[in-house]
Amino acid sequence: MPYRLHLMVCAGTGCVSNHALELRDALSAELAKRGLGKEIEVVTTGCNGFCGVGPILLVQPDGIFYQKVQVKDVPLLVEEHLVKGRPVKSLMFTPPEAKEPVPKMRDIPFFGKQMLVALRNRGMIDPEKIEDYIARGGYQALAKALTTMTPKQIIEEIKASGLRGRGGGGFPTGIKWETCVHAHSDDGVRYLVCNADEGDPGAFMDRSIIEGDPHSVIEGMVIGAYAIGAHQGYIYVRHEYPLALRRFTIALDQAREYGLLGKDILGTGFDFDIEVHRGAGAFVCGESTALMASIEGRVGEPRAKYIHTVEVGLYNKPTVLNNVETFANVPVIIERGAKWFAAIGTEHSKGTKVFSLAGRVKNTGLVEVPMGLSLRELIFDIGGGIADDGEFKAVQTGGPSGGFIPEDLLDLPVDYEKLYEAGSMMGSGGVVVMDETSCMVDVARFFVDFLQSESCGKCTPCREGIKALHGILSRICDGKGSEADLAMLEELCSVIADTSLCALGGSAPNPVLTSIRYFRSEYEAHIQGKCPAGVCRALITFRINDKCTGCHLCFKACPTSAVLGEPKQMHTIIQEKCIKCGACYDVCKFDAVTKE
Amino acid sequence: MIKLRIDGNEVEVNAGTPLLKAAQKLNIEIPTLCYYEGIEPYAACRVCMVEVVRGRRRRMVTACNYPATDGIEVFTENERVRRARRLNLEMLLGRCSEVPVIRELAAKYGVEKSRFGYDPKEKCILCGLCVRMCSDIVKANVLSFAYSGPRRKVVTPFEREMATDVCIACGACAHVCPTGAITIEDLSQRRGEVPEMPLGPKTAISIPFQQAVPKVPYIDPDACIKMQTGGCGICAQVCEPEAINYTMQDEVVELDVGQILVATGYQIFEASQMAQYGYGKLDNVLSALEFEKMLNSTGPTGGRVLMKNGKEPRAIGLIHCIGSRDARYHKYCSRVCCMYALKFAHLVKDRTNAEVYQFYIDMRAFGKGYEEFYSRILDEGVNMIRGKAAEVVEATWGNEREGHLLVRCEDTLIGKFREVPVDMVVLCAAIEPNADQDRIGQIFSLSRSPDGFFLERHPKLDPMGTVNDGIYLAGCCQGPKDIPDTVAQAQGAAARILALISKGEVFLDPIRACIDENLCGGCKVCNNLCPYSAITFDDVKKVSIVNETLCKGCGTCVAACPAGAITGSGFTDEQIFAEIEGILADAGNK
Repeated sequence: MPYRLHLMVCAGTGCVSNHALELRDALSAELAKRGLGKEIEVVTTGCNGFCGVGPILLVQPDGIFYQKVQVKDVPLLVEEHLVKGRPVKSLMFTPPEAKEPVPKMRDIPFFGKQMLVALRNRGMIDPEKIEDYIARGGYQALAKALTTMTPKQIIEEIKASGLRGRGGGGFPTGIKWETCVHAHSDDGVRYLVCNADEGDPGAFMDRSIIEGDPHSVIEGMVIGAYAIGAHQGYIYVRHEYPLALRRFTIALDQAREYGLLGKDILGTGFDFDIEVHRGAGAFVCGESTALMASIEGRVGEPRAKYIHTVEVGLYNKPTVLNNVETFANVPVIIERGAKWFAAIGTEHSKGTKVFSLAGRVKNTGLVEVPMGLSLRELIFDIGGGIADDGEFKAVQTGGPSGGFIPEDLLDLPVDYEKLYEAGSMMGSGGVVVMDETSCMVDVARFFVDFLQSESCGKCTPCREGIKALHGILSRICDGKGSEADLAMLEELCSVIADTSLCALGGSAPNPVLTSIRYFRSEYEAHIQGKCPAGVCRALITFRINDKCTGCHLCFKACPTSAVLGEPKQMHTIIQEKCIKCGACYDVCKFDAVTKE
Repeated sequence: MIKLRIDGNEVEVNAGTPLLKAAQKLNIEIPTLCYYEGIEPYAACRVCMVEVVRGRRRRMVTACNYPATDGIEVFTENERVRRARRLNLEMLLGRCSEVPVIRELAAKYGVEKSRFGYDPKEKCILCGLCVRMCSDIVKANVLSFAYSGPRRKVVTPFEREMATDVCIACGACAHVCPTGAITIEDLSQRRGEVPEMPLGPKTAISIPFQQAVPKVPYIDPDACIKMQTGGCGICAQVCEPEAINYTMQDEVVELDVGQILVATGYQIFEASQMAQYGYGKLDNVLSALEFEKMLNSTGPTGGRVLMKNGKEPRAIGLIHCIGSRDARYHKYCSRVCCMYALKFAHLVKDRTNAEVYQFYIDMRAFGKGYEEFYSRILDEGVNMIRGKAAEVVEATWGNEREGHLLVRCEDTLIGKFREVPVDMVVLCAAIEPNADQDRIGQIFSLSRSPDGFFLERHPKLDPMGTVNDGIYLAGCCQGPKDIPDTVAQAQGAAARILALISKGEVFLDPIRACIDENLCGGCKVCNNLCPYSAITFDDVKKVSIVNETLCKGCGTCVAACPAGAITGSGFTDEQIFAEIEGILADAGNK
């Protein structure tokens, strides 16, 4: 007997760390206790993307969306909604501007403006069950490709769709595949590799896809392998993604069992298998040549790509390397046709793109939007605007080496070329929003620091140059910068970008260059001894104004006894003793401590 | 072949030729740091950057590995290129501030001081040449990079200080290092050395010494990388006549000969046994052979007399009779030391201003012209101290005074104990029989005199023959001697051998043993008893056979044969009894 209701418990990494699995068990137990176990099924799904409000519970087929559901809410929820049919308002999501909670998922703006292609099965299936994937039309595209299309037709279809690499480079996928087919291989061996070494801080698009819908990646890979004539594939997954690894391994076993992977796929005589390779956590191993070196068991460092990896790649064979999201798009294109896909997006950027929204936005999480959507829509409509109703300052796209985009460019569409022209890039899809509490010099320094430690250190400009950048930025943050430093930064940046071996070094100057380009005044303020955002400790002063009630809290909080004052009298800060830790600022309940 | 333009000059190369090589064809110099001929380009230093223009696209590439394609235009010294090199060199100078190579190259691009840092100690620019040499060419896989970003460094396995269990000490890494960041120290003596002349390592492929016959290079299998790891193979690549053969093995050749001249030579007494002279412990205490090598104009110092610190010594002590004329080691006189010590004195006087002290027991200038040479040396102002040196110690007063070392001895001519300060000591060690003299002796059935050398047949009448016919001695295997004596003895032995060969037949003494094949039981008792190795066993007939040319008729086998099958020819029992009876019969008449 089919179930009356399905309780879709989000089991993405975010919700799991918010005790989603305990919630699932509590739900099952409660249903069993009330004898509803045969009527209502509890399903664990992949990430819904709205990670900020987890754990998420979706009641299907009604589409009622519950957020921040705790184990203690379970009895009420089951009693009210599942037994009496009255959805529980207190557990629903209230969008920032709305007064009333919104019961249905599709009515919530965060979800409403999204368009799900790569994430088409988001929240709808149990990622550990191949049957769920098949029930949603999974592996149809594979059957179509293998039984009715020639490899050439597939490549033509992908080319026509305009699909471009979703890992950051934006190289047209169809052309990549075609080049690989034409590349010479002595013994005809070609490899297909899926890059799941997602290393950008705060970005988790690939993780969510693998965790939530691993079969879509497998299906895309098998179609790709058939198109280029590869019989061995690899997926390079970060070791830090244990859940993704586990789910992908389960999915591989299931696909093999169903004859969708391995020998004689679907009885067509085509052989292809996938091996999982775990990365050890080096950011640079997301770079194609470093990744291949790592699979081969060598030190993961890039090599010059004057001869492309599609011609001489893994084990010196022609190799196609695509990102997780790219592969997840492939089955949809095959199934629904290139025309349909090409209709979405802008002139040169087709389809949709998954972004992870992070930083100072109200709704953080994972979203998939059509190309061409403006950054403003992305941040203010889907993201719900700036957290704590702050003021927008900049948005960084494309991960740690992406550039900062200021407010006057917010109407920029999400498009490979447009972002590049603005000094940033599409990257793998990280979007970090900053408000007036962020100091752009400090943020630039932060990302440069990340890139310096993640540089493999092979080539001089990346190893020594980024280190030098960090040194200069630190100097500016410490209030010891000069005008000459700004010129030196620009000079260094242009040479690092010009002469670095791989894209890591090549794009590393982006945060510095764009922050100078759009926020030069902040640099100049630092050089003159002020940090406008009040972040750089060396440049700020804490003072107590006449709002002080003499509550004496700051006196107690100060670790260096820099605060003077009797209770009920106005307090003062002795600047010589102050270490600028901000403890007084944090404890003051009367806004009497100011930072300047 | 394709055509491209470099700095406006057209050049034709094979497609895929690195731009660096194409530029070399035009004599355009592009600076490199991480490039080394024969090792795959790495493109890490980014100093060889050039700008490539293809159509509308301009890009910076590394010349060391960018493959030339048709129609491209390359600029090796335009402003963009110069700026890239200048900045990259400035970054490297910030890292390795006192490395001459970097300083010079940076200065060429106008950088005297780096704005990005100063580190006078760091020498490694992380070009990876050593790592690639070790893993790709040598295939020893000892060196590797560890850590990422600015923390990157070259390490040995697990960062242990001594990776001697895997390092084959080939020294290739130190050789390719452009900045001198790698030095090699031979901790487990893996570098090949000429054993008796350890004045420095030699390469795995070398001509052993200038007078070698044949004078061709040979490969030391213990030091050769190819034979150790299967890597390298560079010598075969560069040898145009294709003379390198890695698979050639030592082989044993069996020759059928009638006569043998044993000239197996000698070995030098190991001077470190006499700890009082400090050999092997104190710097600048050398053996005579090491000193000889140093004096050789094709030797490691080009014939200059130098101390370990590279300076000329102010005084040299030559100590005679190390291990010779010494009841604890060898009682005999080694005969050659006095004269070569005088020769050393002469050469030192000739080439340096050093004082020379000879510490001798007795001067033995016995040969033709030797005494005259001795007188001449005395005239040259060499100090002769009669008295065996007691010990050599490090001088305690440091480097500033007269010498680094102090030789203590009793000067028997003035009857006083003396301490002589010198900078260098040369030990004239004894000539002694080879360590395997015993085994060689057994092979040829040669006796040895109490000193261990082979015993000649007769010291006066047959100094080159042995008790075994057809086996002769020459040189120091028979006893210490100098070159004239050795040559004389060897020529004498050769004459003896040739005499027999030209005669074509040998005269035998009539006295020898005969075996009656019908009586011989094949017990082989006689085989091992024969002192002249004259009896062999015939495996077909199963009887022992006497080689009549070797048999001396000593009668040992005759007495030992249990079957009574051996008789002395002319000395059968019947004949002897008859002789006895004859003598007794005569006695009876008296």
